[in-house]
Amino acid sequence: MIRSLLIANRGEIAVRVARTALEMGIEPVGVYAEADAGAFHVGRMARAVSLGPGTPLETYLSIPRILEAAREARTDALHPGYGFLSESAAFARAVETAGLTWVGPPAAAMEQMGDKLAARRRARRAGVPIVPGTDKAETDEGAIAKKAAEIGYPILVKPSAGGGGKGMTLVETPEGLPAALEEARHLAEATFGDSRVYLEKLLVAPRHIEFQIFGDRQGNVVHLYERECSVQRRHQKIVEETPSRVLDARLRNAMGRAAVEISRAVGYVGAGTVEFLLDERRNFYFLEMNTRLQVEHPITEETLGLDLVRAQIEVAAGAPLAPAWREGRLQPQGHAIELRLYAEDPATFLPRAGRVLAFELPSGPGVRVDAGVEEGSLVGLDYDPLLAKLVISGPDRSSCIARAHRALEDWVVLGVETNKALLSAVIDSKEFISGDYATDFVPRLTLASPRIPDAAWIAATLSFSDSKTGDVAVSSGEPWDAATGWRSGR
Amino acid sequence: MKLSSGDEAADVRIEGESALLDGRRVTFEASRRDGRLEAIRIGEDVFRVRVAREKERVFVWCAGEVREFHRAGRRAARMAEVPGGLVAPMPGLVRRIVAKAGKSIARGDVILILEAMKMEHAIRAPREGILMKIFHREGDLVEAGTALAEIQ
Repeated sequence: MIRSLLIANRGEIAVRVARTALEMGIEPVGVYAEADAGAFHVGRMARAVSLGPGTPLETYLSIPRILEAAREARTDALHPGYGFLSESAAFARAVETAGLTWVGPPAAAMEQMGDKLAARRRARRAGVPIVPGTDKAETDEGAIAKKAAEIGYPILVKPSAGGGGKGMTLVETPEGLPAALEEARHLAEATFGDSRVYLEKLLVAPRHIEFQIFGDRQGNVVHLYERECSVQRRHQKIVEETPSRVLDARLRNAMGRAAVEISRAVGYVGAGTVEFLLDERRNFYFLEMNTRLQVEHPITEETLGLDLVRAQIEVAAGAPLAPAWREGRLQPQGHAIELRLYAEDPATFLPRAGRVLAFELPSGPGVRVDAGVEEGSLVGLDYDPLLAKLVISGPDRSSCIARAHRALEDWVVLGVETNKALLSAVIDSKEFISGDYATDFVPRLTLASPRIPDAAWIAATLSFSDSKTGDVAVSSGEPWDAATGWRSGR
Repeated sequence: MKLSSGDEAADVRIEGESALLDGRRVTFEASRRDGRLEAIRIGEDVFRVRVAREKERVFVWCAGEVREFHRAGRRAARMAEVPGGLVAPMPGLVRRIVAKAGKSIARGDVILILEAMKMEHAIRAPREGILMKIFHREGDLVEAGTALAEIQ
């Protein structure tokens, strides 16, 4: 029986987990770094515990500090969210050793999938196709060069301890291989403390499609359909949708089955995601498994009408998956799209900081916003720049696109530069509307820069010359026509 | 008042409910609620707006788009506050040093690559000059605001 839940995270995901906990009658307990004491997530908890001063490494990423907070708060379970310590097997073990229920997969499954080389071998043994490449960390340069020639250029050199598109080095020609290997090993050692690297063929313009899987302690593992994640910038997703336009029933079945096989092979329990690449000839390849709740999980929730965080907590407490899940009776309804609002320059993708001066959320049918900030929030550069996720659902894809367009227009975010214009450009693009896009599509987009309307120039000028126009304005005391908001004739 | 936003600039003068936009007269009505600007009506068109001001920057949401406005001349003045210095815009890892100290560089030349939040960012020369010194080595962790290089 879980009565209180420590949420070892911040931002939108901490708030999202807290909401489900409250609905389940479980007390959500937050944590915060001292500099984060006024952060949005802290106020959404039943109570919150300080992790003390320091960098992210000394707070949200510190296993001893988090465990100390759990002891101090006397919670009986812990949800890691995503990012931070969510994929650390050592953390999962430490949480269980401390006598808390770990709302996540078994540490052994996390270890097997966290080592990308081991995961490739696992997938191959389970009969799941993998991207052509090596599945041993070779050190003999001659053997590597020979293998590279077999695979065919261009090739990616990837860190075995990496994942999520981090620390990859591209090699276009055999001449470039020795330098790339040296650079990749150096980078892998510096970033992950593990210099092992492996080779993978670079697929040209693949689609990135993942399957949500879910397991229970009774040994049931099911898939909850796919998410299309090909809209990326710098190997990071910004827009996801479900269902994918390119999968037919046969391919969906085959990929879903492969995702379940791989998860079963490592004894997976709880929510996980198996990522695949799909090439132009519709061959699919296992890419990696994320052993946690995924950022884009809400689109699965919207089309299946369920709450994945609730299921995570129930499974962690020992409950079996619901009969409808086990018996494959879940059928997705309609369509859903997620758009990630980042604090960043929409053209260069450079992170931006500042204070959120105004934040007005879009609303209406089929519009859900999972936000991690509010008006007045400070956005720093220490953390992931994700501000909020706009989750659109509707009866079909075209209604979702129209709805997303409208909701983006309605969204007021002032004070911090965001990628809102890029998100609009994505959903308005002919590639996205046709559904014919791959992972290389965002960098080729040009941002529309419509002429600035006269009203915007006037509003800006009024603001500069009149202290009353801004959000930090003093009370007006002027004769406004309250019924319409318009000035009475003067 | 001379304003700029991105690549665009305009000279805007407002007298009552009449504006001169680069000499073009535009008559408008401003609607406020509790002192807060909510809409601008120009002829038959009503534009919902939100504005927020932070010192010398004004943010405007209008017609579904957000824009940042500066008063002309002030931004340039602010950029010049760091004489000869180039500072890290965010905390990160110095991934690669691209330019060589002691050489002349052009505006926009990449000096080094900073890795932060899973992304690589090219740090470019804000103006031409001689790159006197790079204060860090590859692999160094830097805090936001740390001086990265000196350009003379």
